[in-house]
Amino acid sequence: MLIQQIVNGLTLGAIYSLIALGYTLVYGILTMINFAHSEVLMLGAFMALGLAALLPAVFGTGLVGLAGMFILSMAGAGLINVIIERLAYRPLRHISRLAPLISAIGVSIILQNGVFLWVSTQSLRFPEPVVIDQVQVFGATVSTLQIIILAAALILMGLLHFFVEHTKLGKAMRACSDDIQTAGLMGINSDYIIALTFFVGGALGGAAGVLYGMNYGSIKYNLGFLPGAKAFTAAVLGGIGNIRGAVLGGFILGFLEVLASGYIPNGAQWRDVIAFTVLIIVLLVRPSGLLGEKIAEKV
Amino acid sequence: MTLRKAFAVAAVVLAASCGPKEKTVKIAVAVPLTGDMGTEGQGLRRAVEMAVEEANAAKRFPYKLVAAPYDDRADPKEAVNVANLIISDPNVVAVVGHYNSGCAIPAAKVYARAPVAMISPAATNPEVTAQQDSTDWSGPRIVFRVVPTDDVQGSYAAQFAFKSLGKRRMTLLHDKTPYGQGLGEQFKKTFIGLGGKIVSEDGVSVGDKDFKALLTKVRSDASKPEGIYFGGLYTEAGLLLKQMRELGLKEPFAFISGDGSKTPSIFDVAGDAADGAYLSIVGVPVEELPSAKTFVEDYKKRWTGSGEELKPFDHFGYEAAQVIFAAIERAGGPDRTKVIEEIRKTDYTGVLGRTTFDAKGDTLNKIVTMTRARAKDRAFPSVK
Repeated sequence: MLIQQIVNGLTLGAIYSLIALGYTLVYGILTMINFAHSEVLMLGAFMALGLAALLPAVFGTGLVGLAGMFILSMAGAGLINVIIERLAYRPLRHISRLAPLISAIGVSIILQNGVFLWVSTQSLRFPEPVVIDQVQVFGATVSTLQIIILAAALILMGLLHFFVEHTKLGKAMRACSDDIQTAGLMGINSDYIIALTFFVGGALGGAAGVLYGMNYGSIKYNLGFLPGAKAFTAAVLGGIGNIRGAVLGGFILGFLEVLASGYIPNGAQWRDVIAFTVLIIVLLVRPSGLLGEKIAEKV
Repeated sequence: MTLRKAFAVAAVVLAASCGPKEKTVKIAVAVPLTGDMGTEGQGLRRAVEMAVEEANAAKRFPYKLVAAPYDDRADPKEAVNVANLIISDPNVVAVVGHYNSGCAIPAAKVYARAPVAMISPAATNPEVTAQQDSTDWSGPRIVFRVVPTDDVQGSYAAQFAFKSLGKRRMTLLHDKTPYGQGLGEQFKKTFIGLGGKIVSEDGVSVGDKDFKALLTKVRSDASKPEGIYFGGLYTEAGLLLKQMRELGLKEPFAFISGDGSKTPSIFDVAGDAADGAYLSIVGVPVEELPSAKTFVEDYKKRWTGSGEELKPFDHFGYEAAQVIFAAIERAGGPDRTKVIEEIRKTDYTGVLGRTTFDAKGDTLNKIVTMTRARAKDRAFPSVK
């Protein structure tokens, strides 16, 4: 049972982590919470659904088709996030810290209702791009889907790590995150880097949306809200602004939920209470999150 | 179209709408029209609309009947708002609704204030009618329903699990709503009474997506449950089925649930994993009901091209409308209070067979059937 629960926790945690990364990347650079991120996640899933009908003709089915669906949905979600930033956040960036926050909530409502009114008010079946099998690993039943989810999440996290730590653009991103004004003085085009950050964050969110759709088999206009809220929590738990923290927080939250509903009698209905109680305790002890550094308030 | 022509058309339209107004009488249809339960509500709306169209075509009344749809979004708060809206419209003579027990219970209190009759085509929690006996009920008795209650359905499922499937140890899950929990409690009571054992009991939240941890616990339970009884609706039931099968909980491990899960939409959520699920329904499957043959054919004819299937409660909605029509006829006019009294005296034979109401307002026509989901043609043939 423990191994099975670990597998469950890993799958859930991988999805939370991917979403949390989107929150943390944007926060790291702008100290702003992108409340529309959960909708980018939802749109990623809907794009994949639309593509699933078209793609087999182009890429065929199987892993190639799956990869194609992933890459296109990620690119689409990334672009949407860039457009949101350009239209709704950038014009407000220098006005006050609260304005973009409210703007983000507005964007979230607009996107959610847009899908609600124009696409569907109901759950739509999400196709299975590859045949799902079950394999037995140490007495646990692991579906190939869970392996795909975990592998996709780990690959994306690896790529992100490489990008941020080992490329020039990543270096520019870190510089902006440290001090955006000084970075600008050093010749970094900060607007461009911010847009890039939104693209990367959005793409990760889009990927999470596709994984989410695959995992639960159906999608709906409001699917982003709950995992978005949970992932935001995970990002805060790990230390918002910190990439490793977001991943750590995502997995911790995933495991907490699984352990609560798996091992506590009648825990399924208490799991959110338990998970959030732990969060509050962690924040009381470490206000800046598990891996967050204490930084002086930016003025 | 030239501008002048457009004006001419507009003038004609305007003139037509300004003429002496034809008297209309409304039957309110208060059901979820959007959201996950929207598919079921839209089916009920279509059924009532069809009943109204037929009555108008047959010139049953000297005025025009209209089915007025109201969306309660399966949300109790919204149901109360909608109920207030309905009672403030003097043209509404009676209400067909609500779909969810959670909505019907608070909304009924509002209708009692008017008072206006409410006939539920789908809410099965006993409390929907039983609340009229409580001390805080003010106003006359106005609640009726054409569906049998959960105590009938939950205990039928328990007997089916114990006798027909030979299950002795079951796990009970429910969605904590009046409908789901009510169904679950009735199941438990009867199952234990028969000598069975409920090895564990858990509540899940409506809207939850991940039940893997919970199902893993069920799978590794030392007392080896032989199946799950779930009190709840199709979204959660579908996800439970899908994740259950992914964890390897397959036949003969049974999944039994109630009428809230018995809808073709469950195949959209669970896909092939829904195959083999036992879902009880109130009444007989409409396709197997001889008295409903014309209804099913008419419905398919009326709504072809809308891409809509017949939903599980549509014939109840149709029947509720017929009961109201008959009551209006006997009352001699669309008078709310008289219609309530006439509905109480109902003895109507139609699609469902013979419908009469007991003192609480519940139908005395209490048949429950067990069906089994079949994914390949999205059907639910009945099983014995």
